[in-house]
Formats: sequence, structure tokens, C-alpha cells
Amino acid sequence: MAPTPPVRPVMSHSSAFLLPSPPSSSAAPDGDGDAYALLVLNQRLPRFAPLLWDRARVRVCADGGANRLFDDMPELLPGQDPDEVRRRYKPDVIKGDLDSIRPEVKEYYSNMGTQIVDESHDQDTTDLHKCITFVTEKLAIPNRSNLCILVLGALGGRFDHEMGNINVLHLFPTNRIILLSDDCLIFLLPRTHTHNIHIESIEGPHCGLIPIGAPSTTTTTTGLRWNLGKPPTSSIQYQQQLVLNLQILSPDDTSMSFGGLISTSNIVEEESVTINSDSDLIWTISLRHHS
Amino acid sequence: MLGRAIRSMDVMVHSSTFLLPKLHQPGHTPAKNYALVVLNQNLPRFMPRLWTHAKLRICADGGANRIFDEMFQLTNEQDYERVRNRYIPEIIEGDMDSIRPEVKRFYSSQGSQISDKSHNQETTDLHKCISRIHRSTSDHEKTNLCVLVTGALGGRFDHEAANINILYLFSDMRIVLLSDDCLIRLLPKTHKHDIYIESSVEGPHCGLFPVGAPSGSTTTTGLKWNLSEAKMRFGSMISTSNIVHAEKGLGWNGP
Repeated sequence: MAPTPPVRPVMSHSSAFLLPSPPSSSAAPDGDGDAYALLVLNQRLPRFAPLLWDRARVRVCADGGANRLFDDMPELLPGQDPDEVRRRYKPDVIKGDLDSIRPEVKEYYSNMGTQIVDESHDQDTTDLHKCITFVTEKLAIPNRSNLCILVLGALGGRFDHEMGNINVLHLFPTNRIILLSDDCLIFLLPRTHTHNIHIESIEGPHCGLIPIGAPSTTTTTTGLRWNLGKPPTSSIQYQQQLVLNLQILSPDDTSMSFGGLISTSNIVEEESVTINSDSDLIWTISLRHHS
Repeated sequence: MLGRAIRSMDVMVHSSTFLLPKLHQPGHTPAKNYALVVLNQNLPRFMPRLWTHAKLRICADGGANRIFDEMFQLTNEQDYERVRNRYIPEIIEGDMDSIRPEVKRFYSSQGSQISDKSHNQETTDLHKCISRIHRSTSDHEKTNLCVLVTGALGGRFDHEAANINILYLFSDMRIVLLSDDCLIRLLPKTHKHDIYIESSVEGPHCGLFPVGAPSGSTTTTGLKWNLSEAKMRFGSMISTSNIVHAEKGLGWNGP
């Protein structure tokens, strides 16, 4: 009999940070279960930026992201005095090669105590990459390796920037980095793990799984309208299979590739979606435009 | 090694002369014919010019709403109705779940062919539009006909990915996805590629991305950071924020 294959570790994902009122229970005993860092890149702020800002553990602007904060945050809070909004929504750090930030914006935040870190000597990595390295290596906060990193302004705009940002997800596969826009969010599902994605009310219904870096030969999902791979014969059997890592990845499971099938315009049908794949996948889900 | 590795490959020539004002079409490169496909996102600022010089204009479902609503503010015209009457697509194609009834009625009354494919839920609206062009274009014409698509980038990421996949599914066609900020094309690995840069409208920023599969070997000329038999893949090196140097950049993929 063949030796039991190693059990795949499970990675759980949730976007509770997007809910209007924070979740009542916190997962980790030290209350850090929902902690996240917020990074702002140089594109128009999405409508939920104030909500995300309020609850962030740390807030970093990548270069021209500081311009966006300065210009757009007062517009997102129209009932409030713009100067008061700018004072309140002050980043902890502004980092990058500083060739996009306007001089008056830099001066404004510097005077308010924001740490300005000039990385213009380093032209080998993108601004997002520099910020991720900063958050994961240099921040003086407890449990920083568990910190979720939310990024605004990483999608859309110049396509090479978007690709570079998606590449950063692949370069830091063990960190939880989520790219958000007004329309959707995306994050990496590394092939090393089984993934359990809890779907919040504010997400969906449209979703997709994208093998952007390499084709996937075998992917299995549950919880979607059009699931990939062999359907489980019963949920108990499926749970057993997950634990024993047996029978999940078999040759006739659905393969995905550019030039062939990729899963787009799929629909989440259950509160929890599970995904197993032999290749890194990008998960994407739409965000509801509530009133 | 290099001589053995690179087989004699056909060259594909690319240029973006469609972005130039008509008067500036250079004499030595023939003005390319192109079809224009409009998807359901904000129109790019250069849409009036693209529209005017297109051989064929197809709105994919809600793309018709965008032409109806947004074209006026992109022109210098004062007369709203005149603008509306001038920009009439030849075809509106898709599953018709986004186009507003009054928009559909208007274009139908102006002679647009309404091609209702709502029974087909297997493919995206862009896929339907490209399929139609593919079917009605001979193999010979395919090498000369460019298909320009607006509204395919940005917005929902799964839509964007599906639109990029169209470039791969129809790799025998020249499809260009355009936005206000950039354009993208597929460079199939079966060919060498010569890309003529229209520096008045394009650049300087550029990039090469091995979307879908790693690249074993890429070599370029004409860029600030050229690649020399470089391996590229997501999770490792990809070429972003590069700069075009020359008027012509040459790149090809080996095995």
C-alpha cells in the first residue's frame, strides 16, 4: 500500500474587514485575528477607503498614494471639513522612490509626523514590493507575520503596474496580501495549501479562479455554481478526503490555462468555498455596490 | 547553442498607427484596417478618433450604453443630438442583459443590427463579438485586420482575465485591448515580433508578461532593460516599468 501523502495544510480566508460593523468575535486570543496593514498606491481611492483606514493597524502610502489620500479622502467624506479629514487620515509612513508625491503633500504629512522613507536608490523593486517588505520585516508590531495586508490602487490603470502588483502576490505567497478596487478583490491561493474562503455578505456573487502564472492540471472546488473537478460523493467523504489528501487531485479533474478554460463569471453559492489546486491561482470576487 | 535554439520564425509586425490622427499616417506603413469593439466601461478619451476611422464598429451589449451616454463629452460638439446620430454602431452583439431598452430602440431605429445571443450563456460578450469577426474574415484578411477593443481592462478582475484569455483563444487574430492608460497585445511564441513605436502617442513605459505560462527564453532589443534569453515567470522575474528606447523594439520568444 502506498504511504499516506502529507496532509495539506488549510489556509482560511475571510474579508470581514470590509463589513460596515466589525465582527463581534475575534479569532485569535490576543485579539490580533483581524489586524491588517493598509497600503495605498497611486490610483483613485475606492469608496470604502475611510472604513478600511479607520480599522487598520498601520497605514502606508506608496509615493503618489499620498497624493490620492490628500485629494480623495475629503471627497469620500463630503459632510466633513476637508482640513479636518486630512488631519485625521494621516499615514504612518510614506515610502517609495518619491518621484510622484507632490512637494506640498510631502511637506504636509511630514509636518504632521508621518515617517517619510526615501527609497529612490532602489530601482529594482516596485513601490508595492518595497511596502510589503517594510510591513513584513521592519514594522515594530507584534505578530507582524500574521498581519493581513490590504492594498488599494493596485488594480486597473497601467497594465504593467497591475502585472507587477500581481507578481508581488506570487513573490510573497505566505503573506496574506489582498488587492482591492471598487469592483472586486483578488488574492493568491498558493498551491501548497487547501483553501477555505468564507464569503461575506458584501462579497459576490461573481467570482473567478485565474491560473495567471502557469496552467493548472487539477483543480477541485466546492461552493460555486460551476465547480471544478470531481464532485464529492458526500460532504463527510469530502472532509475525509481533505484530511487524508486522497482522491482530491486526480487526472480527470478540470484543468485550467490561458488559451483554454479559466474560471470567470462564476457564482458563489455557499457561505464557504473550498479550493484545491496543483498550481497557484488568483481568486477574485466582486464587491457589492451597496447604497 | 543560440543558432540551434532559434528556428527560422516568421516575423509579426505590430504598430499602433490607428492611434494617430489620420493626416499623420506615415507613407511607408499602410494604414491598417481595423474593427472596433466597445465593451461596457467608461470610454477612453480618444474614442471619437478611433470610431471615425474604423472599418466596422461593434458594441458588446452595454457598450452601446457607453456610446449613447459618453460620446458627447468626448467631442467638441455643442449639439447633443447630432453627436448621438453620428456615432451609430453597425452591430450590437451579446446577451442583451445590460443594454438599456431605450438605447437598443434608438440604435435599432438608426439601422444598427441587433444580434441577440442571449440563448448562449457559455461565452462572454467579447467572445461573441470576436467570434463573429473571426468567422467573417478570411485567413488572408486576418493578418491585415486589427481588432481594437475598448473597455476590456480594469473593472472586475475576472472580466479582465476572460478578456485577456480571448487574445490567446484567437491568437491568429491581431487583437489590441486599449484603455486610457495603455494598450496590450499578445506576442505569440510562434513568431518573432517587430513592434514599431509611435512615440508621439505611445510609451515610454512598457512591459512583457508571461501570462498563463512561464517563458523559457525571451530576447529583446530597443528597450532600456533588454532581455537576453531571460527566463520569466510570475513568482520570479517579469518585465515591468521598462522603457522603449528606439523607434522599433524587437522581441522574440525562444522555446
